[in-house]
Amino acid sequence: MLDREWKKGSADLLVLSLVEHEPRHGYDLCKLIETRSRGVLTFHVASLYPLLYRLEKRGWIEGRWVEKAGQRRRRYYRLTPVGRKVLAAQRRSWSAFAAAISRIAGVQNA
Amino acid sequence: MPDWSGEIRRRLAPLSLEPTREADIVEELSQHLDDRYRELLARGLAADAATRAALAELSDEELTGALRGIERPAPAPAPAPGAPRTRRWSGQFLQDLRFGVRMLRTRPGFTAVAMLTLALGIGANTAIFSTVNGVLLKPLPYPESQNLVTFWGTAPEKRLPVVNYPDAMFVFFHQHTRVLESVAAYSGGGVSLSGEGDPERVPATAVSTDFFSVMRQVPVAGRGFVADEGTSGKSNVVVVSHALWRRRFGGDRNLVGKSILLGGQPTVVVGIMAPGFDFPERSELWVPLVLDPESVNNWYLSTVGRLKPGRTVEDAHREVAAMSDEFMLSRPARFPDAKPGGGRAVVQPVLQSLVGDARTPLLVLLGAVGLVLLIASANIGNLLLARALARNREMALRCCLGASTGRIAAQLLTESLVLAVLGGAVGLLLGALGVGLIRGLQVGPVPRLAEVRLDPLAQLFALGITLTAGLFFGMAPAIRASRVNPLVGLQGGARGGRSGGARRLSHGFVVAQFALSLILLIGAGLLLRSFRRTLEVDPGFRPENVVTARVQLPWPKYRSDTVVRVFQTRLLESVRTLPGVREVGLASRVPFSPGNPQQNLYVEDHPARSGEAIPVVNSRVVSPGYFEAIGTPILRGRGFLPSDNTNAPQVVVVDETLAQQYWPGADPLGKRIRVSTDSGTPWLAIVGVVPNVKHASLRERPNFELYRPFTQNPTWSSYVVMRSRSASEGLVPELRRRVAELDPTLPVSEVQTMEGAMAESLSLARLTNLLLTGFAGLALLLAVIGIYGVMSLDVNGRLSEFGVRLALGAAPRDVLRLVMRRGLLLALLGLGIGLAGAVWLTRFLGALLFEVSPVDPLIFLTVAGALTAAAVFACYLPARRATRADPITVLRRE
Repeated sequence: MLDREWKKGSADLLVLSLVEHEPRHGYDLCKLIETRSRGVLTFHVASLYPLLYRLEKRGWIEGRWVEKAGQRRRRYYRLTPVGRKVLAAQRRSWSAFAAAISRIAGVQNA
Repeated sequence: MPDWSGEIRRRLAPLSLEPTREADIVEELSQHLDDRYRELLARGLAADAATRAALAELSDEELTGALRGIERPAPAPAPAPGAPRTRRWSGQFLQDLRFGVRMLRTRPGFTAVAMLTLALGIGANTAIFSTVNGVLLKPLPYPESQNLVTFWGTAPEKRLPVVNYPDAMFVFFHQHTRVLESVAAYSGGGVSLSGEGDPERVPATAVSTDFFSVMRQVPVAGRGFVADEGTSGKSNVVVVSHALWRRRFGGDRNLVGKSILLGGQPTVVVGIMAPGFDFPERSELWVPLVLDPESVNNWYLSTVGRLKPGRTVEDAHREVAAMSDEFMLSRPARFPDAKPGGGRAVVQPVLQSLVGDARTPLLVLLGAVGLVLLIASANIGNLLLARALARNREMALRCCLGASTGRIAAQLLTESLVLAVLGGAVGLLLGALGVGLIRGLQVGPVPRLAEVRLDPLAQLFALGITLTAGLFFGMAPAIRASRVNPLVGLQGGARGGRSGGARRLSHGFVVAQFALSLILLIGAGLLLRSFRRTLEVDPGFRPENVVTARVQLPWPKYRSDTVVRVFQTRLLESVRTLPGVREVGLASRVPFSPGNPQQNLYVEDHPARSGEAIPVVNSRVVSPGYFEAIGTPILRGRGFLPSDNTNAPQVVVVDETLAQQYWPGADPLGKRIRVSTDSGTPWLAIVGVVPNVKHASLRERPNFELYRPFTQNPTWSSYVVMRSRSASEGLVPELRRRVAELDPTLPVSEVQTMEGAMAESLSLARLTNLLLTGFAGLALLLAVIGIYGVMSLDVNGRLSEFGVRLALGAAPRDVLRLVMRRGLLLALLGLGIGLAGAVWLTRFLGALLFEVSPVDPLIFLTVAGALTAAAVFACYLPARRATRADPITVLRRE
């Protein structure tokens, strides 16, 4: 697992990216982060939901209870227009940041 | 699938979220944990391992810490903008409140007992405090009434605690006072009001002409008196009370200027007073007092004065005493026994003099209810402490789950506060009921009882008690809870490990309860014993089946002695023939009627030595047949005969107190006394001796008494005394008819049975006894409940110990003794402290006690014995339970 501080800095970006194209529920987000990072990044219930609630409160994402036939209702989060702008800005600064780090530390961009 | 919601809620609890928001989060997180749990199972984890792992991810510090900055707590009822700390606090408070109410509802027995205990304590306090406030403290309804004082002379060496003033002395005060802004004199009485409607006797007061200005009273119609109406010949004017104006004159707007018949005399109404003004003593009419500035013969005037700004009651006292001295020393012929410093006086605020007799009993009752509240508080303290102990495990668990000790303490405090507020509300209700009951009572010597209200001050008082009680009761368990050691708490299990501190505290409560109950019971015991002693007093007459009624003969219609004598003879003859009447007589005053005419006493063979105080004697004028009618036996000699008339030698009957004082062991018959040294005053020969008769109270010290015959000494004031074969109230209408036959303008007033009059004189003592006994009984009950509860708790906590003892061969008797010894030790410790307290406190009962010492050993021993017996009983039940402890069951339960 990556250092807590790293996670903190990048968590917003991760969540915003994952809900960019379709609404997702919390457990789905956890699994996606874990699988796509190949187990390097993990979020648990105690860390994920405060993050979701914070993003929602800032108006970047929006949560909504969705009922599907034969299932318990789940809360799906999707990107708001504001969130979309924030995501674009964060993407820009993140690549600038990553590029800067690579240049200094001599790490190849993955 | 495990239910996660409880766990999640517990973690969210400190955030005090809005309920709907909290429910959302719980649902969302539960779902997440469900998914996670299923995933973990699928990976091959056992069910409980999966549960643990899922819960571990709910690591609460991270969750609550992270949410704290994001989620908003439930809004407080009155939001405080920009004060997040307060908002959180009030959110917590609301949550504690909800939780507290829930906890109380789950234990209805505990809640009911605690609430009722508190309610009884608070109710009794509210009612008595309201009464004390309404009767003793509330200012009189007169402008600046705090500056009004009244004063009188006092001569304890003549057994005269109250001496009114003669005209000349009042005039002297009026002229010389520097401390009083103004001073008025008055003399209460009654007058017959006739004319339209039935004649009636109306309470009336003769007042000096500046009376209304001293009282700062302005009539609503007409005027008060002017100065020259205080002179003979100009005084046939009257001011009527608002109540009388409405009742008798139908609120006639043109009454002022009209003439009404007072004592058969036309009298002009000059004013109507404001509603509610009835000073002194429910007066309905005021007539001008005609003062004779030279007269020192009649000592009948009461006074009311207004202090100058900045002057005190003490200033007035010094001045009145000095003026009395000056007055008497400057008249040596009239006051041969006057000495410098002998002019003693009592000066009191008017309010205090009005409530005089009621003061001590009310304050004693106030003290008693205060003690009851203390005992009730100790009980509730114990109950809450026991509850806190039973919940040790819960508290320990909360501690482990991250609740701060402060939060736990706040929770417990809130619970106590909820209890206190509930108890206070019910108590206020009980208090209102109590005030209603008190208001309906007719207790002679307690003025203003009908005006007692559950006043705001009393409500504030109750609220204060309640909140203090809540904080106080909550404190002990809360302090304890904040010291909970989670490990010990969890290990101790549900039975609760009773730490030494808690035990000492609850034992302290028991000791205090016993001490306070003992004090109350001893106080009640002393009063009851006094009351029995009072009832045993021989009043000097037999009150059964005796009715008395006043028939006052108005002057000047009955100006001549002959007219009076003829009327009275005919009245006696007429009443004697009423069916059922056995004896009938007339008297100028009957026992337990208002007023007590007194005269100086000069004994022929005991001339007063110079400088010696001249004794005073109660003086009565009675008809032949009076002693038989009232039931006073003749001890020696004879009563009066019709032959004791103006042609016969003047005769007198004296009481045995007087006879024994002057002729101990000798025959008083034939000895001579008189009531004045004036040359015209005849010597009276003693023809009979009767027992001492109680005049106003069964508890009074015997005063000298003399009786003279109507036939030699006619007076206008007379009471008819009728003794009948059976209960006699039915005779009253007949009596009125017979009086009306003789003179239709005469009112018959002050009708009462002798038994009723005596009961009335005891009404205050009876009420005080009743209430104090009730409070003491309540105290006893609470103390017994208290010691029972604590001993039960002790026994429950040590059941395993007892079980092991029994298993190892202890006899049940030994276990019984062990428990009993501990309980009784507490009770006896309390009794010891209580005895010491009682010795110190009962002295305040002094004035209420009669022929009983404040440290009466019989009462002290009886009460202590009874309390010990009650303690034995209360300890026996838990002790017996201890002897039945089964080691197996107990140990298995651990």
